[in-house]
Amino acid sequence: MTAWETKALDSLQIGHIRHYDNLSRQLPNDWSLMKGRGIGQDDFGGYRFQLAYMAYALALAHRHRLPAAPAVFQPIMKRLIDKLLLPEVWMYWHNVSRGGSVFNAHLAQNYKEEWNPVGRDNIMYSAYVQSLTLLYHYLFDDPVYEQEGSITFRFWSYFWGGEAKEFKYDQKSLNDHLYWMMVKSGYIGVACEPNCVFQICNQPAILGFRMHDLVYGGSIAEEVTREYEAAWKEFGRVGENGHYHIMLAEDTRVPRANAAAYPWVDAWLGTLMNMWNREFVRENYPRQVRDYLIGSADGLLSVRSTPRPSIKGETVVNDDCDFGWVAAWASEMGDEETLSGLLRYADRYLSPNWRDGGLYYPRNDVEGDEFGNRLLVEPQTGNVLLGYSRLNVADGLWKLYNEPWTKERFKQPALREAADDIDVSVAFYDAADRTLHLAMGRSRDRKGTGRVGLGPVPSEARWALGCDGVEVALGRGEEILSSAFDTLSASDGMIRFDCTGGPSRSFRLALL
Amino acid sequence: MLTDLPITFALTDHFGTQVDQSSYAGRWMLVFFGFTNCRAVCPRNLGKLSEALALVPDLADDIQPLYFTVDPARDTPAVMRAFLEERFPRFTGLTGNEAEIGRAKDSFGVFARRVEEGEGQYQMPHTALTYLLDRRGRYRSHWPSVLEVEEIGERIRQTLEARLDED
Repeated sequence: MTAWETKALDSLQIGHIRHYDNLSRQLPNDWSLMKGRGIGQDDFGGYRFQLAYMAYALALAHRHRLPAAPAVFQPIMKRLIDKLLLPEVWMYWHNVSRGGSVFNAHLAQNYKEEWNPVGRDNIMYSAYVQSLTLLYHYLFDDPVYEQEGSITFRFWSYFWGGEAKEFKYDQKSLNDHLYWMMVKSGYIGVACEPNCVFQICNQPAILGFRMHDLVYGGSIAEEVTREYEAAWKEFGRVGENGHYHIMLAEDTRVPRANAAAYPWVDAWLGTLMNMWNREFVRENYPRQVRDYLIGSADGLLSVRSTPRPSIKGETVVNDDCDFGWVAAWASEMGDEETLSGLLRYADRYLSPNWRDGGLYYPRNDVEGDEFGNRLLVEPQTGNVLLGYSRLNVADGLWKLYNEPWTKERFKQPALREAADDIDVSVAFYDAADRTLHLAMGRSRDRKGTGRVGLGPVPSEARWALGCDGVEVALGRGEEILSSAFDTLSASDGMIRFDCTGGPSRSFRLALL
Repeated sequence: MLTDLPITFALTDHFGTQVDQSSYAGRWMLVFFGFTNCRAVCPRNLGKLSEALALVPDLADDIQPLYFTVDPARDTPAVMRAFLEERFPRFTGLTGNEAEIGRAKDSFGVFARRVEEGEGQYQMPHTALTYLLDRRGRYRSHWPSVLEVEEIGERIRQTLEARLDED
């Protein structure tokens, strides 16, 4: 066990998970609290990014903090992934695919409207679908997205557009498709908007390749990262000012340096690339982050954003999420001092709010107050990234990528069923003493039965269930020998009971 | 992986004969893209592939090694023949015009581009994957150039033996 596993989640961390849960449960096409300043889902605050990074945060929390609580994470991740497939998330692509931005207007005559959101370019969407479906399989041993057509992009309107647009994939065929797009690019990466190969947006695809290797075997991730590294050597990753290049133009083969410098570029890329290129990211981090932080006498830290210049007289509206990305970056780097300073700043100035048991920082379009304090909160920062930062651990993505779980964990007892009102703060299995350790309670903010299911318990195994240090039940397989819990049952290899209300309680399920 | 590359090509071999994927039907094809002016990647990989084929003598006669150029401007049939017969005699070189080579590259998902070195000289950085196609010209496997000779030999054996029942 690690120190993160045995240390209980605090109420703020539980609140972030609950907020992700709340957003995942919104009815289809209800995007309450998630709409950013931009229009059309074009920019960095789009639903796709919020859905994806909530799911990544849950994966990290499961992997590092509550490894024996798949029941907490699996349903939320599934709902987030299914939302990611909704047309409102990806329909921007039929416009963006036509080109016309300052980066590809001169090539726009070569482009045409495309409806398939993963067919070409658009790695800023496709990589999240690929990585999350494979990550879901890896974490929960659930091959649901392995089924043919399980990843289907479909749109039809009664009012316009003619025939339905439908594109069917599964996690293997989508992974294969992205891999070959990567190969065809010479491993420099797949474009987002046409002609624009962002370093950032190719990192999730690499995570997906790694998950594919862990689920199915092979070494796609090793091949791609090695070749990707070689391909970028020609351009370098870092500009003269020490900040990561933003992107590469496919046609001119000229990288766009982060001359401004924009915090989100270094922070987002550093967060993700740490998973496979740790030494390089850590070497650059201290110098880069220094350029962005604003300190105060009481140790609070804020982030200095660089305004985007106008383009042809137009104001660029984009949820850059600088504050949120720097916090996520600091969490991955294990920079506790910076992370703590940022989170304390957020709690003082960014109006933390609780809704239905969930913690978030509501959108605020006001850049700052009269004293110069930053107030701006984009939904990606307030809904997602500050929670991500609290739930992540040092090198969280690196460990997810480099220290794979074995399938043995699926044979070990864990919290595999949990009613909607269950909050969990501790969940790990100690293999040495064959004991599942849990701390959980019922949220007053949620409806639910309080019922939980622990298992699997081998059919002939003797077991003892304890609660707050007192033995409350004994059994052998599905036979209950004694119980102080009226609601206790044992069947299908699972031990189930209802948690009572009140404060969180600790539970131990020992295999004797 | 599920890869199902739609392999097609129509090129000229280093003897000057027009060939396509059906020309090699009945034998497996071991395909590598490159260019004869390549300083490092191509000679190293062609050497490794040749050594790997020597490790599977029982299978090698059933395999046609092919070297597709990504530099048709310089790699004429005669240039390719001289290069391969001297150094990598197992291989047959394939070339064509720009459009034909472009279609072959697309078919295999190969990337290559011209990088000027001055005074009319240039390099052609390119994808360094090796492909194995079955007797009907269908994609069966591929691997990157970093595999060692023994690993390549094993990959060839595994791929061919796994498909014996289908032949």
